[in-house]
Amino acid sequence: MSMSGQKSATAEQTPQRLWHGLAQLRHVREVNVLLAMLIVGALISLYTPYFLTTNNLMGVFRAFSLTAIMSIGMVMVIITGGIDLSVGSAMGLASLVTALCFDAGFGTSTSIAAGVGVGVTFGLANGLLITAVGLPPFIATLGTLSIGRGMMYMITHGVPVTPDTPEAFSVLGQGYVGPVPVPVVIMLALMVVFALVMRRTRFGRHVYATGGNEHAARLSGVKTDRVKLAVYVLSSTIASLAGIIGFSRYLSAEPASGFGSELDVIAAAAIGGASLAGGVGSVTGAVIGAALVGVIANGVVLLNINTYAQQAITGGVILIAVSLDVLRSKLTGGNG
Amino acid sequence: MNTLFNTARAAIVTLAALAGSSAFAQDVTIAVVPKVAVPFFDDCNTGAQEAADRLGVSYQWVVPQNTQGATQVKIMEDLIARNVTGIAISVNEPKSVEGVIQQAIDAGIKVVTFDSDSAESARSLYIGTINTEAGVTMGNSMAEALGGKGKVAIVTGQLGASNLNERIDGVKKALEAYPEIEIVAIEGTEDDLAKAVSVTEALLRANPDLSGIFGMSQVGGPAVAKVLAQKEFADRKGALQVFAFDDLPDTVQGVKDGFINGIMVQRPVTMGRLAVESLVAQIKGEAGEIKDIDTGVTVVNADNLDSYTK
Repeated sequence: MSMSGQKSATAEQTPQRLWHGLAQLRHVREVNVLLAMLIVGALISLYTPYFLTTNNLMGVFRAFSLTAIMSIGMVMVIITGGIDLSVGSAMGLASLVTALCFDAGFGTSTSIAAGVGVGVTFGLANGLLITAVGLPPFIATLGTLSIGRGMMYMITHGVPVTPDTPEAFSVLGQGYVGPVPVPVVIMLALMVVFALVMRRTRFGRHVYATGGNEHAARLSGVKTDRVKLAVYVLSSTIASLAGIIGFSRYLSAEPASGFGSELDVIAAAAIGGASLAGGVGSVTGAVIGAALVGVIANGVVLLNINTYAQQAITGGVILIAVSLDVLRSKLTGGNG
Repeated sequence: MNTLFNTARAAIVTLAALAGSSAFAQDVTIAVVPKVAVPFFDDCNTGAQEAADRLGVSYQWVVPQNTQGATQVKIMEDLIARNVTGIAISVNEPKSVEGVIQQAIDAGIKVVTFDSDSAESARSLYIGTINTEAGVTMGNSMAEALGGKGKVAIVTGQLGASNLNERIDGVKKALEAYPEIEIVAIEGTEDDLAKAVSVTEALLRANPDLSGIFGMSQVGGPAVAKVLAQKEFADRKGALQVFAFDDLPDTVQGVKDGFINGIMVQRPVTMGRLAVESLVAQIKGEAGEIKDIDTGVTVVNADNLDSYTK
């Protein structure tokens, strides 16, 4: 964002300056999506008294927190111009491996470490297939998606794994800090950390540079392959964390866990302003994108709207929100 | 499929729901949550809706978009937030809903399971087919059709679904009495028709001497009928004994066309009706002894195809 050059503060110019400031704010795409979410929320609360209750809102937050957590990793991948289709499998396999470790009698920290190990392995595999072998990200992660899901069915034969777990472990998915569910706290913490990483660190700038113009970035000394490897490892590792939290929540690792969730996660990032062409996107935007979808899903049940219409409504709201966003960017002359 | 009509209807219902405010005018609201959107649950919806209308209670039908346990948990949470008075649920993953069922009961909501149970949960009762018994009936029917001898395969739905696995246990239990019948394969289809068709084709190609197929979930019957209607497998018609679950139109047609010997027909309309009736009785404090209800199966074949009820 460029700084306003206006310095004088005459009576005529003050409103103009304010307008200019607002126009600048419109360039921040998170604001658009946040606005869309607030409007949807306001509409829902007009028609049902049950939406704006602490219990319901915390339930909604917890419900979308896993998608939001995964979208934090995904948006970094998307900013480099890549895509990670394997997040649902990384999530599912991590929850399964964690469950199997508990089942085999290992302690909480070992079991969690094993789950995170799954994520790191997924990420290294994706990253190396893309940078060392040179596969397109879509193909590389489509392959690992299938391998991961297949391994889950091979291990479980379709039967969910439901081991006994220590009380302390279930805090991760079921606990509260005050009125706020633990998964939501983790989501917010990750959001703050990675938003700062992307905005304030050299690594963050390199991620944007790699997606903006990879050739130029390489010429100016950015080790783009390393950046890519790093974002894929981060994406899978964050997804595995979501899997572990999910297992702690439901205490059942089912073979279908995380199936199809890559689409929700990519949608969240895209709604939050990420461009699939790379170079554009933000961590907070992705989280707000996940929130928008979560609020709609909750509203459909609260309002007793025909349940078969839910997906169509979600799709419609997404298209309207993103279209308004794009049109506004065009009108204000920004590129988002 | 009258998609356009359905879309229009959905839009109208949506608008009506947005415009109306009757949702929380009545005292008793019963919500029914099926596993996923398939015709079997439409019948449950029909039975439940009729019972709700007759008893004068509000009714909400909420269909999960996928078969993951987490999705039903989310829906249950939304229903608890909405202060419904009773919930009937057909469970996708028994363990994962235990916590949220307890949460509902703590909030004063009556919960029953239908069709697929979460036996360890705090639900008051289960209404549905005792699946092991249905499987035994199916296994015996197959053994009779085969004359006690041959290779059979099982085509199921979700591999983890407990009701399907209980049916499979029942089939195995029945077949123990017939040592010359061998189960050569158990294949999952994720309850997806396209997948079930390709699985069935692969089974037939891999086992030229296959003499029987069990369709354990509702996609099995239509899939086998579709495959046997193909030219490639024309010679297998009659040589292959087929028993399926649930009387979808394609499965019924399969019986008429001679591709399918018999269908184990559950009673989904009865399940939906009993679920609502039981919940309302519990809410009013009028329920007598609370215990599970077996709705049973009917073996439907060419002889009784036109006369059975659900």
